[in-house]
Amino acid sequence: MALSPEVYKAFEDVVGARNISQDPAVLECYRCYAAQSSAHYGPFDHKTPMPGAVIMPGSTEEVQGIIRLCNKYKIPFKAATTFWAAMGYIGDENAIQLDMRRMKKIEINERDQYAVVEPYAIGAVVQVEAMKRGFNLNMAGVGCSSSTLAGTAGWVAFGPSSLFMGTASENMLAAEWVLPNGEILHTGSLGAGSGWFCGEGPGPSTRAILRGKQGTTGAFGVCTRVAVRLHPWPGPAVIPTYGTIPAYRAKLPETIKTVTVCYPSWDAYAEGANLLHQSDIVYLGHRQFNMFGRDIKTAMIKILNDPDLQLCDLPEIMADPYIKEQNEKMKIEVSLVIVGMTQRDFDYKMKALDEIIRRVGAWKSEFMLEKPIHDWTLLYLLRLGHKNLNYTLCGSYEGNFGMSPNVFVTAPLMESAAKLKDDYAKKYPYIADTGGDSDMGSLAILGGGGVTGWEFFTCFDRFDKASIKGACDMVNISQKWMDDHKLGVDMGHWNANARREDGFNYTQEQHNEMLSKLPQPWVCGYQYLVKKAFNPYDLGGSYYRTCDPASFAKK
Amino acid sequence: MALKDFRPMMERCSNCLGCKWIPFDKIQSQRFGENCPINLYYEFHIYSARGKFQAAQGLLDGEYGYTDALLASTQACTACGACDIACKVCRYNLEPLDFNIALKADAVEKGNILPVQKEMIASLKKEQTMIIGAKKANRSAWAKGLKLKDAMKEGAEVIFFPGCKYSYDKKLQGYARTAAELLINAGVDLGYMGEADMCCASRAYQQGLMADFDARSEANIKAFKKAGVKTIVTPCSDCYYAFKRLYAAKGLEVEVLHVVEYIDKLISEKKLKLKKPVNMTVTYHDPCHLGRLGEPYVAWNGTEKKIMNQVHTWEPRRPRYNGAYGIYDAPRRVLAAIPGLTLVEMERIREYALCCGAGAACEQTYPEVSKFTANERVTEANSTGAEALVTACPWCESNFASAVDENGKKIEVIDIIDLVSRAL
Repeated sequence: MALSPEVYKAFEDVVGARNISQDPAVLECYRCYAAQSSAHYGPFDHKTPMPGAVIMPGSTEEVQGIIRLCNKYKIPFKAATTFWAAMGYIGDENAIQLDMRRMKKIEINERDQYAVVEPYAIGAVVQVEAMKRGFNLNMAGVGCSSSTLAGTAGWVAFGPSSLFMGTASENMLAAEWVLPNGEILHTGSLGAGSGWFCGEGPGPSTRAILRGKQGTTGAFGVCTRVAVRLHPWPGPAVIPTYGTIPAYRAKLPETIKTVTVCYPSWDAYAEGANLLHQSDIVYLGHRQFNMFGRDIKTAMIKILNDPDLQLCDLPEIMADPYIKEQNEKMKIEVSLVIVGMTQRDFDYKMKALDEIIRRVGAWKSEFMLEKPIHDWTLLYLLRLGHKNLNYTLCGSYEGNFGMSPNVFVTAPLMESAAKLKDDYAKKYPYIADTGGDSDMGSLAILGGGGVTGWEFFTCFDRFDKASIKGACDMVNISQKWMDDHKLGVDMGHWNANARREDGFNYTQEQHNEMLSKLPQPWVCGYQYLVKKAFNPYDLGGSYYRTCDPASFAKK
Repeated sequence: MALKDFRPMMERCSNCLGCKWIPFDKIQSQRFGENCPINLYYEFHIYSARGKFQAAQGLLDGEYGYTDALLASTQACTACGACDIACKVCRYNLEPLDFNIALKADAVEKGNILPVQKEMIASLKKEQTMIIGAKKANRSAWAKGLKLKDAMKEGAEVIFFPGCKYSYDKKLQGYARTAAELLINAGVDLGYMGEADMCCASRAYQQGLMADFDARSEANIKAFKKAGVKTIVTPCSDCYYAFKRLYAAKGLEVEVLHVVEYIDKLISEKKLKLKKPVNMTVTYHDPCHLGRLGEPYVAWNGTEKKIMNQVHTWEPRRPRYNGAYGIYDAPRRVLAAIPGLTLVEMERIREYALCCGAGAACEQTYPEVSKFTANERVTEANSTGAEALVTACPWCESNFASAVDENGKKIEVIDIIDLVSRAL
């Protein structure tokens, strides 16, 4: 149902007729088929509700005007920018979807080494602008096509460079936030009129409320600007590229290099990761190409490096003895980018890497060191511009397992997890059968290391209902395995308590019922009180998980 | 393929929004990172390949018809293929450009034709050109006095096909003559289609006017066959695309060369020497239909096949048009052969060049979008410090002629044929 003409006119007065729409085809584009995107971000086989209107604000003042009207008319709202997954979309009929497309400024403060970004400054453009000034940023694992602000202010957003640069929660400095009630809050140093340099004091130290570790996923007002910490980039101002589409390659100095380290066992991998964490030599570390599946990763790299090869060539390439041999050698691997701030620094880091390799009995993949593949990998990892490869096999994928404890806890379990998935794919035709181990993950999901990230890709066909169901089954099987190993929630279920299976928000009563039973219910109880204070009409949606303390205090 | 046949692609699009940007690996600045003319102009999600993939599902499901926005998104699309190329950096089973054309055709089939499109169709039927107001009787004015064989009367293996824009635009007629003269002087036994020289109808195809495209293209193919044509040389990128890709799919088996390829060939064979210095700094605009869409046609008749349970492939191997083999180097080699000339590149070039805004007759159907796009491209051209913008397509040239950058500054627009003639 559309907004009433009176309400529509009120919103239109804020942003102008050009920047608001109720056209049903426009609104349809702001719905998310959950299975089309990563299912672990929302419900599985439903679309999110149709918005009442879509609005594109052009400034903080316009965002404030919209939110004040939402409060006046009691209309739920949600802002998103690059619409990666279900979490960016509204969860109530007739809610307002804010598309932050028009707000995209980037301001870089070289002296204090941060960038102030608006929502539609995607990772790629923040990076290229930062590199011109000798900086780089923690590119979230979701890839460079996603909003830097959304990751920084609203989500976990770790990535391959988090070992060196830290995760989103570590990189967020001051922010400008339009709260759910329409008030503008300047956090940290910005609130004290001291600029953007700090996320905590001087000024309101509200980072724990506004993002915490996991972020409020756009369900707590709208962050309109955020300062994100920048990190050193000693390379050229613009990464020179060469090569033919789709294999663009970086032409970088010899002091910027990628090495894929291969291990004889998961125990060796764990020891190697531990040493890499301690050694402080890694600029970027990621187990990237295994996401296609252990059996096919080398063949996929071959395909992606040749404009003439296609997925139908997989069987033939996999049968090539050289590819077979290289694939076997790369069974357990991680790709690293080593960046020398100086030649001496580079020499030291490579020497240290060689020593780590020696100690754990690892080796460097010669296949990944071939010049064209090396240069392609380097660009791939530095820019993270191939997010869509997550989908290239089947059209959709589901993240499974999602283990994130200490590497010594998880690494020994990898083969067991891989076998679980492999057995399913061999028994049923519903998910891609490309090798049970399809783990992709960052070498560290915390600045300085200590923990690693693991996510198994279960690729399925969103156009094939049996395949969707098969992927759902796999999620349930892997959850049981996670429970058995006391590893917590499988990625496929991460947001099961944030949005209902029918695509709608949970009601407060439903959340009370669910969340009061979780360990530490006071976390959501505290958020309930915060919501009462800043979001009195409950307009943000249930990704901000709250639980009325009365629902558990009496028990 | 009918629109409904694209349903699997619609559902398998993964919402990465790569279709709004040049390949991420190639982005050099925020200012010139985006690639889709209509998305830059209208900004709502529906004005993108991904948006249309989603919106078309509601259309097929009968949730709505062609709404104002869906129609604008469909019709204003310049069919430039930038989304297609960006998508294919990663995806092997989506064809955004083919889908966009199918959507346009579906809209037309359901009666959604703009008044100006009706005028173009009427002109195509009556005067065999989509340039409204042009007369068939004046079509060969450009060729007056040239020693060209009339292929329909005398037969000709190599014909010069100027296309509508070069035929009717007074300024461009001179360049068509120059190009033909260059070939004649190099010893090419050159003909033209004489009375049978008519519109290629590429722009009908780009607008989804399939019946008109089919009728015109089939008549042209018949004429080419009758004349015994073996090679078509054209200075127009739209015609080039039509013959090389669209007509080839209809069975035309001839060599198709853009003039710039022929000039490049003459220079490399030392049959053409550019001696006179042209002391200027220029930038080159890759026309969409010569560049990323200029790849040769490969016949395919197959179906989807899944391997490894659920991995989508095609059987037999489906041609993968991703811009890798477009015509980018020939024009650059020609420019490099001109003494005194310096080429400075824009950020969006080759397969990821920004459209000029004239594709799919956008300058007539949605002039505000077309003008905005041309201005955007001229802004990029001026940012290089070049004194002139060179191109190899008359539609681009014409659209840039009145364009201004974001500071209101114009740039000299030069046809590559004109530039070559200055160096003779």
